[in-house]
Amino acid sequence: MSRVALPMVAGLLFGAFRAEAQSTHILVITGLGGDAAHSETFTNWADRFIDAAVERHRVPAESVVYLAEKPDGDARAHARSTGDNVRRAVAEISARAEPGDHVVMLLIGHGSYSGGESRFNLPGPDLSAADFARLLEQLSRQRVAFINVSSASGGFIKALSGENRTIITATKTGLERNEAFFGGYFVDAFARDGTDLDKDGRISLLEAFQFARQEVARAYQQDNRLLTEHAMLDDNGDAKGSYDAGPGQADGSLAQTMFLASAAQAAEHSTDDPILRRFYEERMILQRRIDELRAIKDQVGAERYEALLEELLVELALKNREIRAREGGR
Amino acid sequence: MRPRPPGLRRLTRGARWLALLALLPSPSVAQTLDEALSLLSKGEYESAIDALEDITETVNAPAAFVALADALAAIGRYDDAAVMLRDAPPGLANELSNTLGVVLFATGRVAEARTAFERAVDEVAQDRNVARVNLAILEFRYGDRDEAMKLFDEFIDIYNGGQELGARDLTAVAQAVRYLSATNADLLHDALRAADEAIAADPTSLDARKLTGELFLRTYQGIDADAAFDNVLNRNPRDAEALLGKARTSEFNQQGDALERVQAALDVNPNLVAARVFKAKLHLAAENHEDAREELRLALEANPRSLEAMAMLAASYYLRGEREDYARIRDDVIAMSPEYPNLFTTVADVAARNRKYREAAELASKAIAVDERSWTAWGLLGMNQLRLGEISEGIASLDVAFEGDPFNPWYKNTLDLTDTFEHYDVLRTERFEILLHESESELLAPYVEEMANAAFEGLQKRYGDYTPPLPIRIEIFPSHADFSVRTVGLAGIGALGVSFGRVIAMDSPSARALGEFNWASTLWHEMAHVFHLGLTRHEVPRWFSEGLAVHEQHLARPGWGHQPSPDFLRVHKQGLMLPVSQLNEGFVRPRYPAQVVHSYFQASVVFEYIEGRWGLQAILDMMSGYRDGRTTRELVESVLGLEMEELDKAFVEYFEARFERPLASLDEAPPITGVPNAALDPPTIIRLARENPSNFLARLSAGIQLFEEGRTAEAEPHLRAAVRLFPEYGGPGSAYWYLSQIHEARGELSQAAAALARLNARNESDYRARIEQADILGRLGDFEAAANALESGVLIFPYEIEVHRKLAEAHASQGNTAGVVRERRAVVALDPTDRAEALYLLAVAYRADDDLAAARRAVLRALDVAPNYEEALELLLDLRSGTESHPLPSVTGRTP
Repeated sequence: MSRVALPMVAGLLFGAFRAEAQSTHILVITGLGGDAAHSETFTNWADRFIDAAVERHRVPAESVVYLAEKPDGDARAHARSTGDNVRRAVAEISARAEPGDHVVMLLIGHGSYSGGESRFNLPGPDLSAADFARLLEQLSRQRVAFINVSSASGGFIKALSGENRTIITATKTGLERNEAFFGGYFVDAFARDGTDLDKDGRISLLEAFQFARQEVARAYQQDNRLLTEHAMLDDNGDAKGSYDAGPGQADGSLAQTMFLASAAQAAEHSTDDPILRRFYEERMILQRRIDELRAIKDQVGAERYEALLEELLVELALKNREIRAREGGR
Repeated sequence: MRPRPPGLRRLTRGARWLALLALLPSPSVAQTLDEALSLLSKGEYESAIDALEDITETVNAPAAFVALADALAAIGRYDDAAVMLRDAPPGLANELSNTLGVVLFATGRVAEARTAFERAVDEVAQDRNVARVNLAILEFRYGDRDEAMKLFDEFIDIYNGGQELGARDLTAVAQAVRYLSATNADLLHDALRAADEAIAADPTSLDARKLTGELFLRTYQGIDADAAFDNVLNRNPRDAEALLGKARTSEFNQQGDALERVQAALDVNPNLVAARVFKAKLHLAAENHEDAREELRLALEANPRSLEAMAMLAASYYLRGEREDYARIRDDVIAMSPEYPNLFTTVADVAARNRKYREAAELASKAIAVDERSWTAWGLLGMNQLRLGEISEGIASLDVAFEGDPFNPWYKNTLDLTDTFEHYDVLRTERFEILLHESESELLAPYVEEMANAAFEGLQKRYGDYTPPLPIRIEIFPSHADFSVRTVGLAGIGALGVSFGRVIAMDSPSARALGEFNWASTLWHEMAHVFHLGLTRHEVPRWFSEGLAVHEQHLARPGWGHQPSPDFLRVHKQGLMLPVSQLNEGFVRPRYPAQVVHSYFQASVVFEYIEGRWGLQAILDMMSGYRDGRTTRELVESVLGLEMEELDKAFVEYFEARFERPLASLDEAPPITGVPNAALDPPTIIRLARENPSNFLARLSAGIQLFEEGRTAEAEPHLRAAVRLFPEYGGPGSAYWYLSQIHEARGELSQAAAALARLNARNESDYRARIEQADILGRLGDFEAAANALESGVLIFPYEIEVHRKLAEAHASQGNTAGVVRERRAVVALDPTDRAEALYLLAVAYRADDDLAAARRAVLRALDVAPNYEEALELLLDLRSGTESHPLPSVTGRTP
């Protein structure tokens, strides 16, 4: 079997390790429900997301701020989700976040679009997309994921798109005003099993987006309804969302590297054992070569691609066995 | 049409009758004639005839004689009209010649008509242009078509010549251009324009308005045609030609009253040959040759040289296998009109309507040989080639047809559809060529192939090891509109599937809303038709094939096929159930909207009865008899040993005994006509059940009402009574469903599962009941039965990933490795969110099924999605070592 010459940039590997060392700050906001049923749904989504972040993804509880529509009696909630409290919470996160930290903001509720302006409905005065854009200016040194799962949220992409930002909306435009179901599935992606699509042990924002997008489409199809919400993701700063975001697409590269928490999980791959560290490095190299091969899949030809892939995968599988043996069967 | 020189047109024409009035010698007579013409224009023909006969006694005015001839012709007294015209004063002969030609032509005296038309032309009669076009039509029909086309072409010059044309001349122009459009379809626009100009020139011209209607029909604009004929009938409600036009538009628009409408035309003019022929065509479409032939006898009595009547009669002979009579009449037509392609297109069309597609294609080819510009023939050839599975040939023929007749929606729709065939995958097996849309072929192919084989083998075994022509092409369309176009060329067909003999076309499960149909049952039904058509060489009557196909569904799986309903049983009680001898009418000419559906079920019970009393061999013998050209009546006598009327009677007795209980339960007539019943308030429903304890619908309605109110203990006796009264009922609101819910709520899982099993054995498309049944059976630990319930759910709706996952686990627990592979393939085909896992599990399934090559491909696909997938990487290593035995992971104890 011949080997294809693939570029290898070892220096990036260490960069990748370092990137895992940041902290993640999470701000969850539930807006006005409008009625008891919606308020309950939104609260349920927020609760499940927070619990999943803390319990499944090991985000320190103190790194999660929850502004609720009805905070009374909700142990997770820090304050009511008024516009002032949102501003205050963003300012506090900005004050404590280090450069390079990840900030994840999740907006759950109803949205509106009128006169060219997208808004998120809050108790008291709403906040518009432009208001949020001003707030995010305080987080220019952090990687920001802004996820608005409200109806008519599509307009937020244009307002918030920028460098180091992943913007996810439940709808394509402000005109998709019907109740959006994307949020529930997005939360599911972090809260349930079976959503780690690339089997790397973690759920990236891209995986959560892909999972939710696909489940929304399936739900509409099974109910025999026309799809009235088209979720969008923008992470290349061009202010244009992508429905089909993913590897090889215009959007998705940044979201693929953002997780709810990574520092703690990254620690799993830290070791003082030099042999094990070398194994890790060799595995990273193999993984990168596989990624590079996948990137040129269309140019290689199906048969040759399969052969090359298999060769690399076998090496990777064997390396995993070595690692597991060295780790003592972990 | 060539452009008219500008500035030469003048629109100064008066009304037709006013023009005729101008010919009159004295004002005092004009008043009387005016009244007579008024009567004529309103369709009061008999009064008009009386008045005109008086007038023509004293007035030598051509207009009066023409009007009298028109009035006589309008009620079919052509001979009287001819006599009257010939007896007219000699000095009027030239002006009456064209009218004389018309009535002679209508009675088939072609040579005499030709002479009369020629005289009108030669002697420069005022209606010479009408005579000229009539002469051209005569030439076209009975003479030299090229010569006729030259005559028609002269009208272009007449139109463009700058002379002032009246409504009568413009109508003649429109007629001529209509014929010319055979060489250039765009000319139909010009024909319509000329007809419009004729109407503008004389708004009272009914001839121009009727021609407009004809042109709309010719360009497939049914609604406009209908309006045009209405326009005529608003002025003259007894215009027989307009009434015929309405009948034809009714057929085109599928309004269902074409027969009544054509009869209205014949009530006015019993010698209107075109109406007789149209009526005969309707009878033939209903496989009613006797009535068709009677119409044609009357048509030929009126006009022994009617090519249309002779062609239709030839079609009847052809279909009934009376080949000598067919050959005789065919030769007569050819001798009379060697260039008349409609002889063969008529027979081809009727043959195709009677499922004889091969013959239809051959006849269409003959029509093309007679006239290669017969776009109808090319269309018939193409459509029937497609029905025979000759796809590329069919497309080529249709391309020709569409080029010549670009208005034809059937050709366009069909060609548009065939353009999409590139997006279909074709699965070729020894027996089948299965066409599935690329979006669902990966999912459906294994199920369709398996079910097609099961149906084929099951039917082959029943039908004496008969093998129909292979391969059988099965086309499955994810869009119902596409299936409809494939079947009839237009959207909107109500059927789920159709069999052309070697080609089956049907809806995909994705083409319909969940619960609307069971695709596997439909496939079985259509496969049964393949056998019936093959065994009888397409000679089987509709009722026989449909009834037998439903009977086969009943035998194939419990619950499949049409089931008894209160609605149908009530129809019988009302005396509306058709005798077996007339059952075909229920399919081809239903008298009430549900009669087709009722006829399917009724016909299936006929075969249940025949097979039960005489055995399967009797059915096979009847099919052999049909193949040999024998009629149902003959076969009932020879095979069953009964007169047809005896069978009618015996069947009713069987039916009433078979459904004795439900029929009795529908005896009383409280004001409950269906379930669920929203028209009555709940207390009334419950009171009616109390007052009518033996009424099925009353008890069922009360049971449902009480259940919905949460009063399950009170609901149960009513529901049980409903089951006792009509145990076969599994339709909407079936008592079995509610009983299952009551049992489940009480934790009586076995009873709940049993109730659902009974429901599913009486309803082929209740998906929810099957999933529920599987769930309960799983909880009871009966995984095999649970898997069976899920399997039957997949035959309704194969698009739920979770069902396939459960089925895979159920098969695994039973060691059914092939079943696991099929279900894992289905999961992958449904594009699950976690695609890597789905592919990995497929690889595991392949490995357990000892297909290591497929396992390797699947695991590589999984790792292509998720290269760090540890379990998949391990599996890859194992597969490369290739020596281990890998049983399926056991899931015993899990709920499928």
